[in-house]
Amino acid sequence: MALEAKNLYFKYPKGKKAVLSDFSASFLPGELAALTGANGCGKTTLTKILLGILQPQQGLVLLDGRNIAELTLAEVGRSVGYVMQNPAQQLFCTSVEKEMDYGLLNLGLSEEEREKRINYYLEYFQLSRHRKSFPFHLSLGEQQRLLLAAVLAMKPRYLILDEPTAYLDVYRRRLLGEHLQKIRTELVCGIIVVSHDRDFVGEYCQREVVMPGAGMVENHVDSPQRRAL
Amino acid sequence: MTLFSLVKWDPRCKIILMACLSTLAMLRGEVWFLFGLLVFTCLLVMLGGAELSGALGQVKGLLGLIFSLFIIQCFFTRSGEPWLVIGGFTLITSGGIELACILSLRLFILAFSALLLLTGEVRDYLLALVQMKIPYEIAFMTMASVHFIPILREEALNVFYAIQLRGCELQKASWRKKLHTYLEICLPILVGALKRTRAMALAMEARAFRAYPKRTYLRRLVLKKNDKAILVAVPVITLVLLVY
Ligand SMILES: Nc1ncnc2c1ncn2[C@@H]1O[C@H](COP(=O)(O)OP(=O)(O)OP(=O)(O)O)[C@@H](O)[C@H]1O
Ligand SMILES: [Mg+2]
Repeated sequence: MALEAKNLYFKYPKGKKAVLSDFSASFLPGELAALTGANGCGKTTLTKILLGILQPQQGLVLLDGRNIAELTLAEVGRSVGYVMQNPAQQLFCTSVEKEMDYGLLNLGLSEEEREKRINYYLEYFQLSRHRKSFPFHLSLGEQQRLLLAAVLAMKPRYLILDEPTAYLDVYRRRLLGEHLQKIRTELVCGIIVVSHDRDFVGEYCQREVVMPGAGMVENHVDSPQRRAL
Repeated sequence: MTLFSLVKWDPRCKIILMACLSTLAMLRGEVWFLFGLLVFTCLLVMLGGAELSGALGQVKGLLGLIFSLFIIQCFFTRSGEPWLVIGGFTLITSGGIELACILSLRLFILAFSALLLLTGEVRDYLLALVQMKIPYEIAFMTMASVHFIPILREEALNVFYAIQLRGCELQKASWRKKLHTYLEICLPILVGALKRTRAMALAMEARAFRAYPKRTYLRRLVLKKNDKAILVAVPVITLVLLVY
């Protein structure tokens, strides 16, 4: 059981250089891994390949042993939650409440269960007072929290978050970190966090996968209290 | 095989050439003429060293559209002699076929002549438009809108992925469900586009867009001898072909 990338080679059709070449990594359930590296080294690209949005020219991605190329995006979405880098490009409903409900409806949950989860997550991410608002009128940080809430409410087995703390204030960042720790241990969720936030990585992640331009180096975040700055 | 390089042509030549080709395509209505024009345009694009693989990819998307228009024209135009009669009902007429051919040829010519423009850079066209005495604001807006189409497409795709990843099965969905989903996508894309235009206008003004009536340019386009020849010859030939 793992989300594995095997010998990936990827180049954008219009790109000059390969973004990934012979890249392998595996992400386990119950582990919070950080994916770090310089701007433009291919973190976002890798996450998109892990979800099957982009197809690598070589190599494959295995989701619990199944080749991701054989699954539809919706099937992947049931096991892997994804929050993209740009919050505004993933909102598509006319109210915060509907945005939350969208994924839950697709999971076929009962009315009662949906209501329970929506209430819990809106409360946790402090969005209850925006329940009826138009998602595009929220601030960037609120949009990001809404997306996190909407994806977390689906309780996926793996979670890929691209820069989840980019727009969050210190307090909300801690809320997110603590919640990730909680679902990691309680639901044995495998979490990948792309982040430039050294504090967040040092405090909450067990393992750090550093992506250089091509290939990769791996090292362990030895002390949880490590401060890089 | 490359006989001459479209990339080296002055952008103004390409604009004029495209305008002339399109005008001819729209105003002349004979099948043989349009066919000749299409062959000419294709040759121009091919021999001019436009990247053909990319070019064909651009046109491929149009094929379906052109084909369906062709069929519709065939069936719904009733003029000329009946060609195909089934059970006393005239299905296809010679007039229908002719009109369908004309329409498809025109669309192909428009598509291929637009490929001429792909051999240059957007900023060159902007400069060309300005040097053709078109106000900078209008030239800029035209070019900006061309620039933003691929970006809009990318955003549309992102929303599309987001919808599917939240469990909406599209690959196996009925066409009604698909249509419904496409309509859903329209909202965030429109809102995003509007927001960005506002932000862009602000950003441009913050960087002194239109602060002074005149602005300067880093480069100037200079017409070479053969560019001048093209600029004169192409409109003249077009006029002759139109009158004749
Ligand atoms: N659609 C595309 N076409 C061509 N090249 C692209 C495309 N998207 C990204 N790239 C290039 O691929 C490389 C990796 O991009 P990517 O977005 O994965 O970087 P990243 O590691 O997420 O960076 P950041 O830290 O800024 O988010 C970059 O050099 C970028 O220019
Ligand atoms: Mg990124």
